[in-house]
Amino acid sequence: METKNMLKSVSILSVLAAVGMFTYVVHASNMFSYLSEDPKVCINCHTMNTQYATWQHSSHRGRATCVECHLPKESLIDKIFAKSRDGFKHSYAMTFRTYETHNIRASESAQKRIQANCIACHKEIVSQITAYSKLYQTKEESGQMAQKCWGCHRDVPHGTTRSLTTTPDNLGVKEI
Amino acid sequence: MKKSAVITAVSVVAIVPMALLAISINENKAEQQNINAVPQIKKFESRSSEWGKYYQRQYDSYKQTKKSDKIDDMLIKNPALVVMWAGYGFSKDYNAPRGHFYMLEDNVNTLRTGGPVDAITGPMPTACWTCKSPDVPRLIDKIGELDYFTGKWARHGSEIANPVGCADCHNNETMKLTITRDFLNRALDAEGSLKAADATHQDMRSLVCAQCHAEYYFKKTEWTDKNGEKQTAGVVTFPWSNGFSVEAMEKYYDDINFVDWTHKVSKTPMLKAQHPGYELYKTGAHGLNNVACADCHMPYVREGGVKYSSHNVGSPLDHMANTCLNCHSEDEKTLKDTVARKLERKTELTKTAMDVIARAHLEAGKAWELGATEAEMKEILQDIRHAQWRWDYAIASHGSFFHAPEETLRVLGSAINKGQDARVKLRAVLAKYNAGNYAAPDFSTKEKAQEIIGLPYEKLVEEKMTFLNGLRKEWIEEQKQKELYDPQTQEGMKFNTSYAPAQ
Repeated sequence: METKNMLKSVSILSVLAAVGMFTYVVHASNMFSYLSEDPKVCINCHTMNTQYATWQHSSHRGRATCVECHLPKESLIDKIFAKSRDGFKHSYAMTFRTYETHNIRASESAQKRIQANCIACHKEIVSQITAYSKLYQTKEESGQMAQKCWGCHRDVPHGTTRSLTTTPDNLGVKEI
Repeated sequence: MKKSAVITAVSVVAIVPMALLAISINENKAEQQNINAVPQIKKFESRSSEWGKYYQRQYDSYKQTKKSDKIDDMLIKNPALVVMWAGYGFSKDYNAPRGHFYMLEDNVNTLRTGGPVDAITGPMPTACWTCKSPDVPRLIDKIGELDYFTGKWARHGSEIANPVGCADCHNNETMKLTITRDFLNRALDAEGSLKAADATHQDMRSLVCAQCHAEYYFKKTEWTDKNGEKQTAGVVTFPWSNGFSVEAMEKYYDDINFVDWTHKVSKTPMLKAQHPGYELYKTGAHGLNNVACADCHMPYVREGGVKYSSHNVGSPLDHMANTCLNCHSEDEKTLKDTVARKLERKTELTKTAMDVIARAHLEAGKAWELGATEAEMKEILQDIRHAQWRWDYAIASHGSFFHAPEETLRVLGSAINKGQDARVKLRAVLAKYNAGNYAAPDFSTKEKAQEIIGLPYEKLVEEKMTFLNGLRKEWIEEQKQKELYDPQTQEGMKFNTSYAPAQ
């Protein structure tokens, strides 16, 4: 009986500890900020400073925020799923330091999303070029145009050089 | 029991990754803070190497100004200058400027600052340090502007340790461009076309230079020190309240009867133009289009993938790909030839002006010698005063031929005209005293010219060397004790002057 009681106390304590830890992580990670679409959230960690700075100095800064290009727009469920999956991957990479280069690249699934978003905004010009040029008529299995927009528009919107060393004076949020 | 164990196990499994995540978040936050931290540079930090720890590229490019190291003796090139500046420091020693790295060194080495033996001897006032060092705003903050501007040059020798550097133009916390010399703020407000408070960032990219590259004089200002004693300060002041033009400043000086010195030969109440670089630049094509000094003299350069503003201030013609060609579509050679032609035009007129004015001084000297009266000479001296002032205004800022070619040539034209006016009048006076065919003595070399004006050159050099081997060394020891001395300011420094050229 005594052992049972003790185990019960331990389990209650451990649950409390887990809840406490969760609360702390919510606070420390500024977790609720991730529900927002503010680009500043993307530099909660310093890893994205360069991406933020290059975007902030680009023609897209007034038109499209980070999530408007990098997350699916069509369905809310897809969006939340993609955001959570990316968030998990980023947390994992940050925790276990698997990203140690200064050049982060979009994953394949992210590339698909970005391409879709480019086309969604620029659909009129894209429909013209796909109609008139064979170069753009090849499609991937998913049905998406095989030619990537940034194959030519290499500096849109993050510039041609986009590593931490190339934007040494552009760290953190700077209002311009 | 089983239930409790499961709950405990699940909780622990949940806690472990959360703990890891929390640790990682905190580490990253610390790192973030470290990366984003504003560099810790103390206010009025005059040692540029301290700033250079955080801004290595800028500092490194600034140090490259040491490559501009040639001593170009302007008195050898233009011996007429010796005659024109008789009785004034510039007749002793005057070189073309070298890189920013050498500013303080050259100020200490020039014969103009003389050979003081203690804090109260020597020919120059404290104001002569004003543009040479970031130790100046530091010292002004410490003892007050009027106290700073009081006394002899040697008084601040142990305090002024670093050549012009980071703290002269930058805020230590934000790196924003900032005016560290209050006299520029006062002058801008007095002139009125651009109030100091209204300056944009683009304006500041010229104004930080204008703190020093401008015309100034030392305004006598009475004040009472903390012991209740009356003191007179010589405060650096820009004569801008009537405007930037040569006539506006001339009027300013005439209205207050300002005299820099009385000419040793002609007895003219002289004006010495310093270097109205900013004022002239404002009238030229680049200035009118609000191209800033920094646009051409501190262009953006690339190093690998990094873009930064070069602090190797010098001639934009040395790297035209980063300067002229940003805006101009001609090829380098065409542009260089155009600039060279501008320089030739100025050289032609300035040579004429110098010859005319030097002769006017010598002829006036002769007239005095023959017994000419004050009344006879009054107008002549006014003409000489204005002629030399105008010539000096046009050429003293070395880049004027390029910054404002039209204005430079116009002013030189008026200088020649005034000088010849004086000489025509002088001829009549000389004729009256039976010397109508008087010809000025030969001043075709620096030595001949210095002999004519009776300059004790050897003695000046000797005094200077005594000073450099004595008091100057004491200053450096004191600077070390005050932790103002920065060994990096002396790295690669060779003793190189016009009177004792480097071997």
